[in-house]
Amino acid sequence: MSARAAAPLSRRALVAGTLAMSLSLAGAARAEEPLRFGMAMPLSGGQATYGQDQVKAAEWAVAEINAKGGVAGRKLEMIVLDTRADPQSGIQAANRLVSVDKVPAFVSAWSAVVKAIAPVANDTRTVQLSVGANSAEIARLGDYTYTTFPLAAVDITAVANYAAKEMGKKRAAVLYINNETGTVAAQIYRDVFSKAGGQVVAYEAYDPRASDWTGPLLKVRAAQPDIVHIQGLVADTPQVIAQMRQLGLTMPVSSYSAVYNPKLIEQLGKASEGVIATSLAPGAADDPAVAAYLARWKKEIGREPNGLPYTQYLYDAPYLVAAVYSGLIDKKLPLTGENFRKEMLAIRTFDLPLTGKLTINDDHTVNKTVYLMEVKNGAWVKKAVVE
Amino acid sequence: MDYLITLAILIGLSVALASSFNLIIGYAGLVSIAHPVFYAIGAYVSALLARDLGLPVPLAMLCGALAAAAASAAVALPSLRVSGDYLLIASIGFQLGVLEAIKNISVTGGAGGLTNIPAFLVQDGGRGAYAALVIAFAGLTVWLNWRIAHGPYGRALSAMRDDETAFAGLGRNAVAMKVAVFAFGSGIAGLAGALYAHYFRFVTPEQFEILQSAALLTMVVVGGVRTTWGPVLGAVLLQALPQAITFVDLPPAILGPLQGLLFTGLVLVFMVLRPQGLIAAGEAWHPAKKYSAKTYSAKTRGEAR
Repeated sequence: MSARAAAPLSRRALVAGTLAMSLSLAGAARAEEPLRFGMAMPLSGGQATYGQDQVKAAEWAVAEINAKGGVAGRKLEMIVLDTRADPQSGIQAANRLVSVDKVPAFVSAWSAVVKAIAPVANDTRTVQLSVGANSAEIARLGDYTYTTFPLAAVDITAVANYAAKEMGKKRAAVLYINNETGTVAAQIYRDVFSKAGGQVVAYEAYDPRASDWTGPLLKVRAAQPDIVHIQGLVADTPQVIAQMRQLGLTMPVSSYSAVYNPKLIEQLGKASEGVIATSLAPGAADDPAVAAYLARWKKEIGREPNGLPYTQYLYDAPYLVAAVYSGLIDKKLPLTGENFRKEMLAIRTFDLPLTGKLTINDDHTVNKTVYLMEVKNGAWVKKAVVE
Repeated sequence: MDYLITLAILIGLSVALASSFNLIIGYAGLVSIAHPVFYAIGAYVSALLARDLGLPVPLAMLCGALAAAAASAAVALPSLRVSGDYLLIASIGFQLGVLEAIKNISVTGGAGGLTNIPAFLVQDGGRGAYAALVIAFAGLTVWLNWRIAHGPYGRALSAMRDDETAFAGLGRNAVAMKVAVFAFGSGIAGLAGALYAHYFRFVTPEQFEILQSAALLTMVVVGGVRTTWGPVLGAVLLQALPQAITFVDLPPAILGPLQGLLFTGLVLVFMVLRPQGLIAAGEAWHPAKKYSAKTYSAKTRGEAR
């Protein structure tokens, strides 16, 4: 459901509310326009399955905030636009949000899109909240791009340290997809693992369009590692693992948050046993709110969301926006991007429903607890928690 | 307002790209779909020269266009000497190869894309001035293409496309002509790329891939190949339509698939209902009025039907 579709009804409700308030001599000025913010996500194209689930989560949150009376009596309204996970479409979506809908802040994701939009955000002093992209560069895109999602360094550092220190692995092989996500994270893994006393014995890239990984996998086998870290995307990583097992490489496999997904187990079956992934949000077993959220997915949509932790972050984004708006309205400040940024940094620590506490650091990064997950008996089980 | 200006810039760049692409595949009949790679070369060369070597932006843009033209000539020369289909293969290979190189070299920012590209004109003249520049450039491209296609050179092009052997028999050099047209069209694409880079200030290799080739081809084919206004119409339509859809308040669950279906849907509809495109090309070459007697063109058209 689009937040806009409900507008006529809400306007009537707002008019009624205004009348009631002016009768009771309360300030009639409160029931003004709804509080708008933007959401630029891939709704079509290859990444749409993830984008659409994430938007759905955000829509639920907006509906819930409004059901509880909105923000300081005003309704929250989310304007959703498609980016196709493509930089140029992303720029158009951002321009549209900034200059037509005049939002002071908007949510975006996918590293290339976030980077492409950053000049627009800086020029127009509109806050871009990256929710889900993890490129390390996102922290350096200027004053108006912030992330609420931990960047690659957080979970890759955790998984590399865990392998070297807790699991006692000495020889790691790193297999990564040759794109933004893969190259940056693979470097982080190599640095952290080496620093923790291990040795990276193979460091192999593969093409994003590849459907056969025998070459790099044979090189990995020849290097005789005792753990393999795969830094790929949701779509290719299960296939890489499947081929790896077929080639008789039985050592443990670790990966990162994109792989923490029911689909991995569905696709790999037994071959998924022992795969370690990270989750940057608490799971259903850690938090009753997450359990209820997951139950809602199963009840209303009939399945689990694609990329559960990402949808949790997206669900929380409107709550963060609402908190900032609420602060601005309390202080009677105009709702501009500049004020939004100042207020967000003034609040700094947010307590969010599905991902817990979030602190925005001065260097545009955030710290989060990393949950290491492992496939055991056909299900994801929590292996360790790294603060 | 910024939104409309940015849209105008994107439409202008698409018009220039589609129009120059039409010159290559339409008028000259050179089968190549690698137009976006010359767009990419223009963007990257200009951006890197301006950012890392401190070249003034207009000069960097010119270098970008020249680099694209030079690269296209280098691809075309060996492949055109063999035969037409080889150009298609060579150009696709070139496109994949260049993009792969961009993805793996650190100076181009790798797969993550090139950031911090210096801006041009926007600070001093405003976005409107930039849009005016781009639209003037697009207009000039369309005009030049019209002049080339409908002047004496166009008649020669048309003859070469229709029967290369006969054309060579008349003592004309087909290879030189093909290379010149290919380089000119690619140079325009390079300049468009440079204009893109210094406005949007971020480029990534993925935006120049085969998908972009398909979008450009759609613009030319849907608009009408071998016509002056067809590619223009196609470019405007295919840039503006996806934007117009977002103003109809549709739920995201419908909006996404609808946008995705737009391109393929349009191609399918046109293939069945109007294969000649929105604007149909005449069956035979006809000159601009300036160059001919009216009777000549009327007579040839009548005969062709």
